[in-house]
Amino acid sequence: MRWRVITPLGLLCAPAIHAAQFLTIEQAQRAAFPAAAEFAAVDVSSAPGIDASTQAWQARAGGRTLGYFFFDRAIGKTREIDYSVAIGADGAVLSVEILEYRESHGGEVRLESWRRQFVGKHASDPVELNRDIQNISGATLSCRHVTEGVKRLLTIHKSIARR
Amino acid sequence: MIRRARPLLGTLVEIRADGASALGAIEDAFDEIAWVHRTMSFHERDSDVARINRALPGARVDVDAGTAELLALALEIANASDGLFDPTIAPVLVDAGLLPRPVRPRHDAADWRDIELVAPCTVRLRRALWIDLGGIAKGYAVDRAVESLQRSLVARGCVNAGGDLRVFGDLPETVHVRRADGTLARMIELADGAIATSAPFERDDRVDTNAEAPHVDGRTRRFVAEPRAVSVLAPRAAVADALTKVVLADPEKAAPVLARYGASSLIHEGIAPA
Repeated sequence: MRWRVITPLGLLCAPAIHAAQFLTIEQAQRAAFPAAAEFAAVDVSSAPGIDASTQAWQARAGGRTLGYFFFDRAIGKTREIDYSVAIGADGAVLSVEILEYRESHGGEVRLESWRRQFVGKHASDPVELNRDIQNISGATLSCRHVTEGVKRLLTIHKSIARR
Repeated sequence: MIRRARPLLGTLVEIRADGASALGAIEDAFDEIAWVHRTMSFHERDSDVARINRALPGARVDVDAGTAELLALALEIANASDGLFDPTIAPVLVDAGLLPRPVRPRHDAADWRDIELVAPCTVRLRRALWIDLGGIAKGYAVDRAVESLQRSLVARGCVNAGGDLRVFGDLPETVHVRRADGTLARMIELADGAIATSAPFERDDRVDTNAEAPHVDGRTRRFVAEPRAVSVLAPRAAVADALTKVVLADPEKAAPVLARYGASSLIHEGIAPA
């Protein structure tokens, strides 16, 4: 293990955004359904809980439906995260992939100002989860929003797969 | 360099791998992480952790080899830190409403010394207790993923679970530590090792920080009174994670424990309480 601290002298020089694109939609489609011969766009505009950014395709090969591929956007801290969900013919999630995020993640540690929430609190002090201290669910906002998005897409899938 | 990210461990986990076998290797590495998530979860009914937390004193609980390995490490660090790190502080978090209450009541005075590994994959409790492997399990997941990549003959890569990261193969990784206003506090360049950072923070809608519970001092069983922002660098991520708790509880007493594990700590000064 080797490490060193680099203290930046010019704070303004450091890049503030650590965005990354991992996959294009086409790459994610092929990765999710390698056997698919085509991805036919599905009209989801009337599905319940639909969002303007949600897109859906049916993965097909040899006249059969292999499953469905969804593209959606979730909010991270302040910017969107593009992600995809592949659902198989049996209705189970095959994969969830982040396609792109536009703000700092990982490699970044943000030290927020310490508020009064826990300083001085003892185990004997009653702490009401929602009232006293901000909701600590054990998950980051990004993770929760993507996970909630996946649940929403599963519901949308149910309504379109029935057609 | 192939990069992929997925929502796991309550954060977005990013894996980077270089080489011909990278795509398949990354898939296998994500599987390892998902496995740790399921097996060590405090919340899932059938996880090894939940089964231990339901166990009657004296009963033998068979666990996965990975769980046993992680528990053995947790107990080793608890012993080395004289209890400053203690995986049995879950009751403090439960009583504070930060973790759901397990079904079985726990003994008030139980601590890490009441956990025995009576066989390679068998746990026995002397007294009823609740373990929470939260942070250390995240580091362990990172380690498992790295080892999986290496078994797949990936020459260099990085696994990053919301700031707990490990990089290998002579690929330096730069960690940016920022203040609340977005300015850079410092940058840490790391190669062939792991870093875990515990920072006091407030959750609000603008912040996407990994929401660990606030830190409990293993010996006083109270929330750490003087919250600091601390990073620990160590060869393994699980160790780095556990040692952040030791440093947060008592930076002075932590020094020999850090030395024993070939670890170093950085306290990020100048992050003033609001």
